[in-house]
Amino acid sequence: MRQFTRTVVGPMVCGALAAVTLLAAGPVGAEPQAGAPPALEPIVVGTPERIDVQPGAIQLQTPRRRMHIIASGFYADGTTQDLTRAAQLTSTNPQVVRIENGVAVPVADGKAEIAVTVGGHEVKVPVEVTGQSKPDVVSFEYGTLVALSKQGCNSGACHGSPSGKGGFRMSLRAYDPAVDTETLVREAFNRRTNVYEPEASLLLRKPLMEVAHGGGRRMKKADPAYDLLHDWIAQGCQVDPADAPRCVKVDVYPRQRLLKRPAHTQQLLVLAHFSDGSIRDVTNLAVYTSSDEGVATVNADGFVTGLDRGESAILVRYLEKMETASLMFLKDVEGFQWNNPPESSFVDHDVFEKLRQLQILPSDLCSDEEFVRRAYLDVIGELPGVGEAQAFLVDQAPDKRAKLIDALLERPEYADFWALKWGDLLRLRGNKVTPAGVHKFHHWLVNAFRTNMPADRFARTLLTANGSTFANPAANFFRTAADTNDCTETTSQLFLGIRIQCAKCHNHPFERWTQDNYYGIGAFFNRVQKKPGTTPDELVVWVSRAGEVTQPRTGKQMKPWLPLKGDAELAGEDDRRDTFATWLTAPDNPFFAKVEVNRMWGHLLGRGIVDPVDDFRDSNPPSSAALLDHLAKDFVEHGFDRKHTLRTILNSRTYQLSSRKNDFNRNDTKYFSHATTRLLSAEQLLDAICRVTSVDEKFAGLPSGTRATQLPSPDVDNYFLKVFGQPARETACQCERSSDSNLSQALQMINGPLVHSKVRDEKNRLRTLVTGGKTDADVVSELYLAALSRPPSTAELDVATRHVTASGDRMRGLEDVCWALLNANEFLFQH
Amino acid sequence: MRTCVLLSTVVVLLVGCSIASADEPAPQAAAPVVFSKDVAPLLVGKCLACHGATDPKGEYQLTTFEMLMKPGASSTPSINPGKPDESELLRLISSDDKDERMPKEGDPLSAAQVAAVKRWIEEGAKFDGPDPKAALASIVPKLPHPDPPESYRMPVPITALAFAPSGQELAAGGYREVTIWNPATGALVRRIKNVPQRTLGLAYSPDGALLAAAGGLPGQSGEVTLYDPAKGTLLKQLGAMADVAWGVAFNPAGNRLAACGADRSIRIYDVATGKEERVIEDHADWVMAVAWNHDGTRLASASRDKTSKLFDAATGESLVTYPGHGEQVYGAAFNADSSQVLTTGRDKKVHVWKPADAGKIGEIAGFGQEVYDIVVAGGQIFCCSADKTARQFEAAERKPVRNYEGHADWVYSLAYNDATKRLATGSFDGEVRVWNTADGALVTSFKAAPGYAPPAQAAAAPQAAAGQAAAK
Repeated sequence: MRQFTRTVVGPMVCGALAAVTLLAAGPVGAEPQAGAPPALEPIVVGTPERIDVQPGAIQLQTPRRRMHIIASGFYADGTTQDLTRAAQLTSTNPQVVRIENGVAVPVADGKAEIAVTVGGHEVKVPVEVTGQSKPDVVSFEYGTLVALSKQGCNSGACHGSPSGKGGFRMSLRAYDPAVDTETLVREAFNRRTNVYEPEASLLLRKPLMEVAHGGGRRMKKADPAYDLLHDWIAQGCQVDPADAPRCVKVDVYPRQRLLKRPAHTQQLLVLAHFSDGSIRDVTNLAVYTSSDEGVATVNADGFVTGLDRGESAILVRYLEKMETASLMFLKDVEGFQWNNPPESSFVDHDVFEKLRQLQILPSDLCSDEEFVRRAYLDVIGELPGVGEAQAFLVDQAPDKRAKLIDALLERPEYADFWALKWGDLLRLRGNKVTPAGVHKFHHWLVNAFRTNMPADRFARTLLTANGSTFANPAANFFRTAADTNDCTETTSQLFLGIRIQCAKCHNHPFERWTQDNYYGIGAFFNRVQKKPGTTPDELVVWVSRAGEVTQPRTGKQMKPWLPLKGDAELAGEDDRRDTFATWLTAPDNPFFAKVEVNRMWGHLLGRGIVDPVDDFRDSNPPSSAALLDHLAKDFVEHGFDRKHTLRTILNSRTYQLSSRKNDFNRNDTKYFSHATTRLLSAEQLLDAICRVTSVDEKFAGLPSGTRATQLPSPDVDNYFLKVFGQPARETACQCERSSDSNLSQALQMINGPLVHSKVRDEKNRLRTLVTGGKTDADVVSELYLAALSRPPSTAELDVATRHVTASGDRMRGLEDVCWALLNANEFLFQH
Repeated sequence: MRTCVLLSTVVVLLVGCSIASADEPAPQAAAPVVFSKDVAPLLVGKCLACHGATDPKGEYQLTTFEMLMKPGASSTPSINPGKPDESELLRLISSDDKDERMPKEGDPLSAAQVAAVKRWIEEGAKFDGPDPKAALASIVPKLPHPDPPESYRMPVPITALAFAPSGQELAAGGYREVTIWNPATGALVRRIKNVPQRTLGLAYSPDGALLAAAGGLPGQSGEVTLYDPAKGTLLKQLGAMADVAWGVAFNPAGNRLAACGADRSIRIYDVATGKEERVIEDHADWVMAVAWNHDGTRLASASRDKTSKLFDAATGESLVTYPGHGEQVYGAAFNADSSQVLTTGRDKKVHVWKPADAGKIGEIAGFGQEVYDIVVAGGQIFCCSADKTARQFEAAERKPVRNYEGHADWVYSLAYNDATKRLATGSFDGEVRVWNTADGALVTSFKAAPGYAPPAQAAAAPQAAAGQAAAK
């Protein structure tokens, strides 16, 4: 980061330009370029020790059934690769089953085998073909709706949008089959389907672009979807009988695989299990998305092509059923050599293991100067004072970093800073909980962090709070989350890391959460009631003994439902929230500890293991599942002790890596091979400016000396804070705090009134120093220490003092230096 | 493709189908190529989807003959009369390069089709239509229409019904036909051919001599046609539109016909001459129904744009707009003295409002689903709904008289004959029911699908359907 400072200290205009440019661009690592997928590398079959063929046996029970056959090779060196492209498939009886592009196709009832030959191995797959003389009626749900979903017709951008397109609206990704059948067949007087001449149906001619279609060409006659839609119409647009087999689960093969160049492709096999026991190949009907298009792409047939080193979760969706295949792509990097960095704990072990695999080299340890600044800002939100920084820098103790971490975690500012963070999430704001409520709730929060209240108790206290919002400030949770839906959404996002809002109106379009789930969670909270308290602005939260939640689409009464568990067994009917809180904070809860540790990790490392930190979903996998698991387990084992986990992370080498990149981690943005530089938060920045200049900011209605990080709510109207992303606390989403850079920020720093007045203040740090008889060099050095927690280099000191001398007006010259420091990226950024 | 092969080559309405047929014979070598008959259908069927008025690909559009002759973005002449080698259009439809060959990503034109275009250019690229500025789709001859199925393998939804004024015959929309039934017995009386694929509106002239039909090919063309109901012959095609016509209505004098359609227009025709007198383009979406007032001076409309409007029939001027449904409006009718307009809609209600200022007078609720057709006659209101019922109310107080229950599916259409006091209702599943409105008794019911054998008598029907699909 030093090069920034050199640019900045110099003539004003140059500094200003540099600040604008750098603020606007931000020192973010380069994103990997996602271009056209490169040509496939030829398969080097080599000599696998063994091969595996999936599925192990095939049953084709109707004329329409097909089965993809996947061959994998396992090698002596422990590697695996997909050999499907290279495998030779032969049917022992083509009168029963034939092979078409690697897919088994039924011909007539009977038994046969398919011999799969590759790499000197042969595996025989038994095939049983039945039902070939019976009609194969296309299922509405598993044929028509699957086909429409596959082609994207009912996606959110097209006919699945709330108002549809061109007067034609379907339920988003087919969550409501009953409405869809009416829309497709009966709406607009049977305009869309034609049982007499199916191929003349608008439902086919529009996506084929045989008739002008606003969405353009979306289907080809060769697509499996065309056949399904066509035949469903030809068969009379029938709906499924009530006793029709239902899909109970979807399996994807492989679930997990590590591929090393030259191996970089994988054909997936997706099997849908039905309630009649049949297993159907839906590989070319499922919908695929890659969680990281820069690492791997996947085509419509489930063929994955790796583009770069890294991991990608391939999300497989078949109607509302969802699975993922986790694929890791490795490649030998020329000149890469692992340097065995020391590991301070399981944290480093997990991080470095993944880096070693991916051939990414971690950066060096950060300097003491960088560490002291980083630790102060991350733990207590403040810059180290000049004396504090100096004391740390001269300390020769080998464990001085650990000691500093311990000391910082005990500072009162720690509690203030984390109360600010949770104040955002709990939406502390006068208009929600009244000004008096804000102060009481804020005080409760500060106290919770000061006493290091365990996270499980913290959550339970909020979620089961009763009584007066003044006497028991935690009850404000239900004042902010004003209705059942808000409780459902807030609780899910804060404590489960699930953004479930979409499922309020329809099954979640990308994830496994359904509308039933949403209202099932709501059933824990719908009995919460509020009544006025004895004093104005006071509210009393209580729980009624009756009341159920009705799912608005189905009209069904919902039982309280727990994610990944099912309908809850209630421990009596006293307060359903107890059951929820007990489940949430149980040691084996699959969400809570992970979300908590991930928030802490994200705070300290600038990026969550799951990122965004409150957006856990199949299509957003953790960058290291092992690390997340270990951190969560450790957190639970230590009684949900936040400070313990913070200490563990802060003491890791991973946390203490430099932000300077090397040739082997230059493009890494997600595996923590180097520190992530990021703009100070609004409150951190304002406090830092006050600290460097020694001029406090006055907040209306609050005692002088109150720091920005101590503000109980954004009700204190401070333009500077807003410009730098202070959230209005409207949502429980961490994303509401903006981290984007913008021009207003640059202007605020360059010539905004706040910076200007503090740099020019009669009693500020530099004037006090000058009055105290300090030399230019002394003043410059102290400013450097105050702003950057390090003394200036000889060259920097030289440039700065010469500027002061040349400016003619000593005070002005020093103000320039101070201003330039405040505009240096090294000051503005956490690094 | 079997259907297409059976049909004659002039089946231009089935453009996609007949044109895709590679074994279609080329025009006879001797006869010159006729643009409207041999070339325009190809262009409309194969090219218009991408080269239409909105966002034409390559900035080339062939909505009209005039546009067809203008070059697109490449500025190379699309058609150079007499010089096929210097005609970009011909080059692109006959190119071997898959990346540039038109239709892009579609099946190529057959050799015979390309040859026809080539010869048409060689012969001077002549235009045989009435107006080079007219929509290309409108100059493509639409008649005669292909025949209906000899016998129906499954019923089609009954989207239109009309009683002859005498009440002795009932017309129903079929597939590529209008069928005429005896409303007393349910016997098939006559089949009228030369009808577009769908019939969505039917109306007899007050003297019973004419039967007007609205219909077309969804998303592709619309037609308003007059038939002789007694002879079952086509008399006159009054209009052609870019999408289906939804409804028709004769004025009380019987000398004007109003039609409305998915092209958002209302059109008024002089019945005697067939001349289109007026086009009213005021709605923002499909116009689903149109009705005359008692003296033929006003028209009320029902539109998918969620409004009903009142128009001056003589000037076409829009007088008032009724937005009260807040949902798609499906049906419209005046009461006997035209002091009220009654409209039906997706909001599951009948709204009653004043034509003077569109002020709401009242409403009829209680339907389980959206409400479609509405008729006010004989002091009664009749309407039908997707809730599988038709309902009757007395017109003055709007008090319920009775519900007609028995349909197993959505009731799309109804017709009432005051002479015989008969109500006919038609549902999605192809069933027509005739009721005696005096006592609510069912007079007869039948599937309006000639030759159709219900599954009870032909258990093999689903299998036959499946077999048909498999044989595709």
